Amino acid sequence: MVPGDPALVIAGVDATAEDIAAIRARIGTDRPLPAQYLDWLWRVVRFDFGTSLTSGQPVTALIFERFGLTLSLALLGMLISLVVALPIGVVSAVRRWSFWDYLGMGFSQAGMAVPSFWLGILLLLALAVKIPLFPLFGSGSLRHLVLPAVALGIARAAVLLRLTRASMVEELSKEYVITARAKGLTERMVKYKHALRNGLLPVVTIAGIQLGYMLGGAIIIEQVFSLPGLGRLFLFGVYQRDFPLIQGGVVFVAFAFSLINFLVDILYSVLNPRIRVG
Amino acid sequence: MRRTFLLALAAGLLIAGLAGAAPKPLTWALSGNPDSLDPQKTAGTLTFQTVRSLYDTLVEPDAKGQIVGALAERWQTSADNLTWTFTLRKGVKFHNGDALTSADVRASFERIKNKEFASPKASEYAAITSIETPDPSTVVFKLAKPFSPLLAALASGWGAILPKSLIDSGHDFSSKPVGTGPFVFKEWVRDNRIVLAKNPDYWLKGLPKFDSLIFQIIPERAVQVQGLIAGQIDGSDIIDQEDVPMLEASGKVNIDRPLTAQIFVLAMNCSKPPLNDLRVRQAVNHAIDKQAVLDVAYGGGKPVGTFMNYGNAYYRDFTSLYPYDPAKARSLLAQAGVGKDTVLEMVLPANYPPHVKAGEMYQEMLSKVGLNVQIKLVDWPTWLKDVYTAAKYDFTAIAHTGKLDPDGTLSGYGTEKRYVRWINATAADYIAKGAGAVGEENRKKLYDQAMMIMAREVPFVFTGTSYRRVVTNKRVKGFRMDPILDTYDFRHTELQ
Repeated sequence: MVPGDPALVIAGVDATAEDIAAIRARIGTDRPLPAQYLDWLWRVVRFDFGTSLTSGQPVTALIFERFGLTLSLALLGMLISLVVALPIGVVSAVRRWSFWDYLGMGFSQAGMAVPSFWLGILLLLALAVKIPLFPLFGSGSLRHLVLPAVALGIARAAVLLRLTRASMVEELSKEYVITARAKGLTERMVKYKHALRNGLLPVVTIAGIQLGYMLGGAIIIEQVFSLPGLGRLFLFGVYQRDFPLIQGGVVFVAFAFSLINFLVDILYSVLNPRIRVG
Repeated sequence: MRRTFLLALAAGLLIAGLAGAAPKPLTWALSGNPDSLDPQKTAGTLTFQTVRSLYDTLVEPDAKGQIVGALAERWQTSADNLTWTFTLRKGVKFHNGDALTSADVRASFERIKNKEFASPKASEYAAITSIETPDPSTVVFKLAKPFSPLLAALASGWGAILPKSLIDSGHDFSSKPVGTGPFVFKEWVRDNRIVLAKNPDYWLKGLPKFDSLIFQIIPERAVQVQGLIAGQIDGSDIIDQEDVPMLEASGKVNIDRPLTAQIFVLAMNCSKPPLNDLRVRQAVNHAIDKQAVLDVAYGGGKPVGTFMNYGNAYYRDFTSLYPYDPAKARSLLAQAGVGKDTVLEMVLPANYPPHVKAGEMYQEMLSKVGLNVQIKLVDWPTWLKDVYTAAKYDFTAIAHTGKLDPDGTLSGYGTEKRYVRWINATAADYIAKGAGAVGEENRKKLYDQAMMIMAREVPFVFTGTSYRRVVTNKRVKGFRMDPILDTYDFRHTELQ
């Protein structure tokens, strides 16, 4: 069990024992845990996730008012990440041990080493303070999402880039590539039609998992860029032991994750006809 | 036809011109999202900082901390102090258009006292046995026993007056507050911003002096500082000492350094050996350089020698009792027979970096006199449960927030109700009598005694009261922050 009692958090430091007991009775944490859990389950099967203990608002409403931002940020971040990672990764693989490969790998190392909050603050200082192209804080427009998506995308790109390179290198050494070359296909056809398509499969898997993670919110990026995303909602849910909010959040994230995995599986069959069923 | 068009165009341009000339709203930085905007359902400071501009109370603290009339024009207490009669100001309107009457006052306090509603502040009104409304502008509180701290409870943020019609209809005050305050609620995008607009019918005529107030929620300190320098934020009160030089160099802001009403302490668990031995607690007090902790961990402050904030009307100076004296600390520990083999646990709230920093300083100072202290970091709910409620700790570093009434600070000390588990029936008795006594002079005599016993028996190291840094854009004039409640008063604020 996680330590802490939501009634104590709501009550604050000046409340009396009677106040705390009354709060426990109101939020229902005075009942035995199994009873609380069964009650929660019974409501969840009817799609009722209850109300947040601290804000008094329905958990579903709190999640959905933030989902739009988190989804946009995740998709934009993933787009930036793919746009950066795929070309560099492919070039690195095709021209292995060349100058461009070292440059790409160097970028990947740096991207993995730099903490995203630091990159975020640097981006803000450069492009919101020194050259005020983007807003320093707030949310509500696409401009507010550009810098956080870049900060988020760079960190993800660093991982995807290595994966793309490794996967392409592996494909290029396979026998069908030799066959393709032997039957006289151009290098272009061999690399970018045959090898790339197969090489992308593991990248799609990992990108899908990463997108799933991002749908749970990007806590640090949201904090740096003052964005009202799911990450901060769930983080404060944990800080305040707001159990209905945390439980609703976990169910929501699990659902989003499964949905993404399902979509990835469909995408697989598009990329690779061998996987198509029937 | 053409003339009408030209006229319309001219009017349009004029309106556009006027709109363009409308001053920028005042944007104030908040470090986090309030849990709720219902003043009766939370204990969170962020809530009260926000709703101070939306609600009024019957009485309120003035700039010196004296309680003066607000929604109540005047009040009187009966000779036995069991009947308190408040006369309401006339012509006050709620933001929904309702006129303020005694029925609203009664409904508000019945709401907060209602057991099912379960307000964290319900006990502060426990002394009230009934609320009578003989006429629309008179409210009579009947008390079970004389209880002076009630006035402070009426002046605090949770004493806000809500409209009865909306209480009755079950309105969601937590996300759509409706009060009588100087500003009207417009919009709250959680974790982003809260937008308020001037209340044109506010009962203080001619106030407030600007049209739009935005609380912008910015958790990252560096972003707040940059926002202040860039002029995108007009003010913040949670600026660290380290950021002051950069802000000063910008030339864009005014920096004010008032004292807070907080009491920073190193609390000791008096129910466990070795800290149940007075000599050990005295040794700990001699071992700590309080001014150094205040300066390094808390951004500067004034040491105090007892459990009262510096600057409080009830404060008395006992700082000479336990000066910084490591040699004396060592000899007291030797007398008590406490050495390196005794391991003491210091539990610190990880979410408050200043307390963690202070805790590290305490640990080092204590190790210099031969105490073996291990630090354990916990999150806030764990701290509340393990340290504050269950007293499973030896040391902890924390701050006690300011209170309008000394009873708020002292009540419960001397009994097992408080987390230091310091038992002293004499002190507890003085404190209990202080709540029932009437008049500052009479109460002072009782609290003086209690504070003296606490100063001598040291259930804490009373480190001191800190300064805060309130930074405002130079265009902001007349901003006031309540020194005790930590709330923002924008009523007299002007934008230039």
